[in-house]
Amino acid sequence: MMTPHDRLGIAPDATPAQVKAAYHAKLKEFPAHSHPEEFKAVRAAYESIRKGEADRDGDFLKMRPIEAAIAPELIQTLKLNAIAQLDLTLEDLIRETF
Amino acid sequence: MSRAIGIDLGTTNSEVAIVENGKARVLPGENGDLILPSCVGLSEAGKLLVGRDALRQYAAAPERTIKSIKRWMGTDHKTTLGDRTYLPHEISAIILRSLKQRAENALNEPVTQAVITVPAYFTDAQRQATKTAGEIAGLEVLQIINEPTAAALAYDLRSEDTERVLVYDLGGGTFDVSVVEITGEVTEVLASHGNNRLGGDDFDRALQLHLKRRFQQEHKIDLPDDPVINARLLSAAEQAKIELSTHSFTTVREAFLATKGKTALHLDFELARTDFESLIQPLLDETLAAIDRALSDAELSAEDLDRVILVGGSTRIPLIQQLIESHLGQAPTDGIEPDLCVALGASLQAGVLTGAAIDAILVDVIPHSLGIAVAMDTPMGVMPGLFSVIVPRNSVIPASRSEVYSTFADNQDTVEVEVFQGENAIAQENVPLGSFHVENLPPKPAGTLQIEVHFDFDLNGILTVTATEKGQGQKQSLIVNDNRIDRLSAHELRQAQANLNQLFELDETIEVSAETTTIDFSPELIQLIEQATAKLETLEGESAEELQSLLDQIAAAPSDESIDLEVLQSELEDFLYYA
Repeated sequence: MMTPHDRLGIAPDATPAQVKAAYHAKLKEFPAHSHPEEFKAVRAAYESIRKGEADRDGDFLKMRPIEAAIAPELIQTLKLNAIAQLDLTLEDLIRETF
Repeated sequence: MSRAIGIDLGTTNSEVAIVENGKARVLPGENGDLILPSCVGLSEAGKLLVGRDALRQYAAAPERTIKSIKRWMGTDHKTTLGDRTYLPHEISAIILRSLKQRAENALNEPVTQAVITVPAYFTDAQRQATKTAGEIAGLEVLQIINEPTAAALAYDLRSEDTERVLVYDLGGGTFDVSVVEITGEVTEVLASHGNNRLGGDDFDRALQLHLKRRFQQEHKIDLPDDPVINARLLSAAEQAKIELSTHSFTTVREAFLATKGKTALHLDFELARTDFESLIQPLLDETLAAIDRALSDAELSAEDLDRVILVGGSTRIPLIQQLIESHLGQAPTDGIEPDLCVALGASLQAGVLTGAAIDAILVDVIPHSLGIAVAMDTPMGVMPGLFSVIVPRNSVIPASRSEVYSTFADNQDTVEVEVFQGENAIAQENVPLGSFHVENLPPKPAGTLQIEVHFDFDLNGILTVTATEKGQGQKQSLIVNDNRIDRLSAHELRQAQANLNQLFELDETIEVSAETTTIDFSPELIQLIEQATAKLETLEGESAEELQSLLDQIAAAPSDESIDLEVLQSELEDFLYYA
């Protein structure tokens, strides 16, 4: 199995500067317009190495609450939407009935 | 291989550029003008006008003149010109065709391939419409690239050190901000944000309304809601806006706008830069908020920026420069050509794609998130119709991403995959791109059947969505294009190209016949025309346009019986007397 570091042709302990230089060299070799598949693989490797670096920098301490994505405004909007839909159904109901 | 051009197809102005010996340059028109106003019209005699000639007649003949068509790209908004209606991409095709011709004349060789720029924040539909416009104009569109990215490409840094640059691009109709990292020849976009309906046009319109209010305050009557008066006010507003970029005060003068009893009413007052600034401040505050979002998406703060570049004609407004400087804590970089750098960058990318000796590597991002509608567990119970993002905004393109979803009900035998583009957590609030079903799923309890949804987004903005049931491998896929303006079939494309050719040829034949008709004028009128032509040399801006349009109408009179020459003659007399 090819690791992200293998993909960029660098050692597992490469410095961030070396990672970036290797990434740029690979971009030159595989431009997005002529080698889209290789480009995507290079990019994915670069992103995964950088993500690893960020984690080492202590990003993992920033715990995120699991429900963070569901914001209170969203719940409010959903409620309003639901109510609006009810109103509409009532009107339809009246129209249907008479 | 013939050379490919780069085109900046702007809301107000367009340019075309080419790379020669590794250097990009903007190609001039016959009169030496580097800029082609993005304006299309028909003269009184039915002659096709593109660029400055069309713009010149706008205040006098708004019903025969189309400005700012870019604002409608990707919609089915119809515009009437002469005896037929046009879709936005058909009008854009006329402008592109004109730029192609300009390039062919300047280079003395046929031109068939182009890179065209669009605002970074353009949606998929707007990009497809732009590509179609290029094809109708007879161009193979090699790539659609983002305007701020093109500007960054043109910005020659030549340094191996990484620089982080913020590109603030405020044009006639659209606003973009991109955060870009440049290292040697690699230009990598970290994040983009924008507004497809914010630009100089909005400032003109705010000022136009202000002029109407001032007129009302002074004369105690409302200006009639007449297309010609509105067009004159809009042109006056634009002129005043431009003046106020270099002067603290300007005078707005428009004669004979209305009558009260027997008195003709004019607009004539002084406008201060501060008046204009207070009108546009709320719009500019929005752009500052967009800067903050782009920075936060790029995980950078203002101090991390090495440079700020201003692109687009509207960035000449001094208030914009002040606001950005105080917001980001550094002054924008000088020495960038805000009108030309986008076309220059597009030509560089065109050079790269056709194998010219240019070292430029571009890594760009997708401006809007892509995903599907799903049911999710929320504190209010299971909610259907929520937006699950598969390719987040600012992902590098081309991009391939997958997510695995499971069934919602026991023995569910069908799933519908509805694809959306946008940032709202409620799927329906985003832009629908299409939908499809995966059918005949094996009966399984809810939540146990797994479906992998794979998104593949290529450099041309084409999205392929594939849904695969993981157990037995049923597969269904969809290639997403815009469903309002489908891409043209080969036949439709040929038809559209033929129509366009006809329009351009018609133009040439009529031009010839118009030349021979001026002899019917009376000696008095000929003298007046001579005076007016001399006067035209000394006039600028609005009044020059007004006079030119009078002259145009007179010139068109012999071939159009509906024109009353006597009325025009007395108008011309009045004008010369007044001026």
